[in-house]
Amino acid sequence: MAAHPESVTLPRRDEHARAQLAAVGAARAPLVLARDRTLTVPGPLGAVIPTLTRGTVVAVGGRLGAGATSTALGLAAAATAAGEWAALVDGSGSLGALAAAEGGVDLARFVVVRDVPRERWATVVAALLDGVSVVIAEMPRGVRPADARRLLARARERSAVLVALAADVRAWPVEAGMRIVAAGGVWSGLGEGDGTLAARVGHWTVSDRGHAPRVVGRRVG
Amino acid sequence: MSAPTRTLCLWCPDWPVVAARITEAAPAAGPVVVLTRQRVLAASADARAEGVRIGQRWREAEAACPGVVVLDADPAGEVRAFEPLVRAVEVVTPRVVIDRPGLLAFPTRGPSRYHGGDGGLIEHLRTTIQATGPVDLRLGIADGEFAARLAARRGVVIPAAETPAFLAPWPIAAVGDDDLADLLARLGVRTLGAFAALPAASVLARFGRMGLTAHRLARGEDAHPRALTTPPPDFEERVEFDPPAERVDEAAFAAKGLADRLLDRLAARGLACTQVIVEAETEHGDTLARAWRHEGALTPGALAERVRWQLDGWLQTTGGLSGGLTVVRLRPEQVIPATGRQLGFWGGDAAAADRAERVFARLQGLLGPEQVVTAVPQGGRMPIERVRWVAWGEPREPAPGAPVGPTAGPVAVEVPPWPGAIPGPAPARVFVTPVPAELIDAQGRSVVVTARGDHHGVPARLRCPVVPGGEGAVTAWAGPWAQDVRWWDRAGRVRRVAWQVVIDGDLACLVEMARGVATVVAVYD
Repeated sequence: MAAHPESVTLPRRDEHARAQLAAVGAARAPLVLARDRTLTVPGPLGAVIPTLTRGTVVAVGGRLGAGATSTALGLAAAATAAGEWAALVDGSGSLGALAAAEGGVDLARFVVVRDVPRERWATVVAALLDGVSVVIAEMPRGVRPADARRLLARARERSAVLVALAADVRAWPVEAGMRIVAAGGVWSGLGEGDGTLAARVGHWTVSDRGHAPRVVGRRVG
Repeated sequence: MSAPTRTLCLWCPDWPVVAARITEAAPAAGPVVVLTRQRVLAASADARAEGVRIGQRWREAEAACPGVVVLDADPAGEVRAFEPLVRAVEVVTPRVVIDRPGLLAFPTRGPSRYHGGDGGLIEHLRTTIQATGPVDLRLGIADGEFAARLAARRGVVIPAAETPAFLAPWPIAAVGDDDLADLLARLGVRTLGAFAALPAASVLARFGRMGLTAHRLARGEDAHPRALTTPPPDFEERVEFDPPAERVDEAAFAAKGLADRLLDRLAARGLACTQVIVEAETEHGDTLARAWRHEGALTPGALAERVRWQLDGWLQTTGGLSGGLTVVRLRPEQVIPATGRQLGFWGGDAAAADRAERVFARLQGLLGPEQVVTAVPQGGRMPIERVRWVAWGEPREPAPGAPVGPTAGPVAVEVPPWPGAIPGPAPARVFVTPVPAELIDAQGRSVVVTARGDHHGVPARLRCPVVPGGEGAVTAWAGPWAQDVRWWDRAGRVRRVAWQVVIDGDLACLVEMARGVATVVAVYD
């Protein structure tokens, strides 16, 4: 009778076991597929910006009312739709959370950080990048290039996406993977004393690295 | 196998109602119901006589008993009101274990002998507690906590070794697990006695671990074998306050971290906690300790909640603490093997959630708990009323009294259609402090709305800082929509009108006018 093969002793600690499993997984699939490096943007905004690349900074700008906030929220929806987390650093304290929900964000996985003192802004954003896939950061006036570069490095290291939101897209002082300027658009549904606000045809100017800026129009809302 | 500990159980029926009367949140007489999540949690005897049932919806309860006083559950207040009773019991024995406000238990071995038997102990306890104030008390003694609780419902003392006979005629629903009880009843097992008669091995095979626990209870044993429940030593978590904490929220925030750390450490050993001792030291060196028990295992949220209630009880009741808190300690007293945690394959989802939660907790430490929030939709007319911001870690529930749909789950809260809500897409910018504005008609006069909601003048221009250049032409508009909010409440009543306006073709705003003053309350960004 053949001897029973001696059973392999498995490591007892959870972290150990997980590290081993990850190593086996990496050995089985050594390639990093492009789709693992991106987040798919759901909803109507997906037709304008189909994917977000992890580890990059997206600068979003546009004057109040032009749709910059909805655009940023649409990008956050990319994270929650994938079962991951999103956060927003709310400088003005005026985020309409229902608009986030309508933009496809799962509110249970969307955290808002408010009343961040000016001198702690970079610390807070860096901390969020540690644990959250998409961080929307409303930029205070005059973010220093050194801070911005540090945040860029942190996003790259953690494979998170930083969405830098400001009225002026050039407020983000260093390079960005993508710059999106919301340019507004015509609202429909409202008449002269009748109807209700229904939808708008939005326009965006999108500049990727390595591409000429392009203007995209799309009905949203 | 050791016999279960002989236990005395003290039960105050309808404690939420009694507590509300003690704290004077409810009138001393007349029907009262206490709600949690829009359903009846407890009702006074006269309300029950009118047909109010536990678990009923608010509207049904009001229909059954018109004029009933409806209150929202206040667990912290219940603990506060319960505190004097617990202190009275602590004179008799130090080993008091609180299950929930209104229900506690302790082993009777020492006290019973001291007071000359179970009957003497009950007499003594009753007079001691009644001295603190008149309360409807039920006391029962039996072998094991489960049987003692049932004995307390009847107010009887079950002689030693007769516990299985006492349990046998109880309906199967007494095990407390509704799904299991329902299934067993349909299989024809209708009493605890019939369930106890089944062989334990078959019960485990057919109903799993939950079934086995219930079977042990039905047989009159402890829910978990004693040998498994003693925690390993040195599982103690503590937090020190310097300067001493005097406010509940400071202590509560620390309690949350404490609970997380303790349960994390236990989980690393494959353990879950069912009974924990909360200890506090004051700046004058006093030490207070209280044991809390939980059916099943304590989750971090449930544990933090109990610690908060207890600290609140100590800090708010007179004679509780001699000064601010300097140290809070958590010590597990009873643990069971953890069974229910599954990590995602490759450490996926759960690990990401853990990481996110750690980051949020860190930011709460940096900025304050109230600055890290999540949004919960709720019913309301204006955009600002339709969202409640909840500090991270608090239960994601709409504000007390705000209506929610029947499917109020932990994640998605369904809000039913709300008559009078502003239609259309939700604005992405909602100003907490509305921006002053002026709506002007073609002749340059302000648009005026009468108390009846009629308006004079057609909006032609909007003057407001949110508009580029400070002023713009109204190209499309709808309204005014009149809202008479809380008209039944003299103090809280607001009459206002709202317009949706589009300025220069592409800036859409929501304009509100109340008491003749116009403001921009939201921008569709």
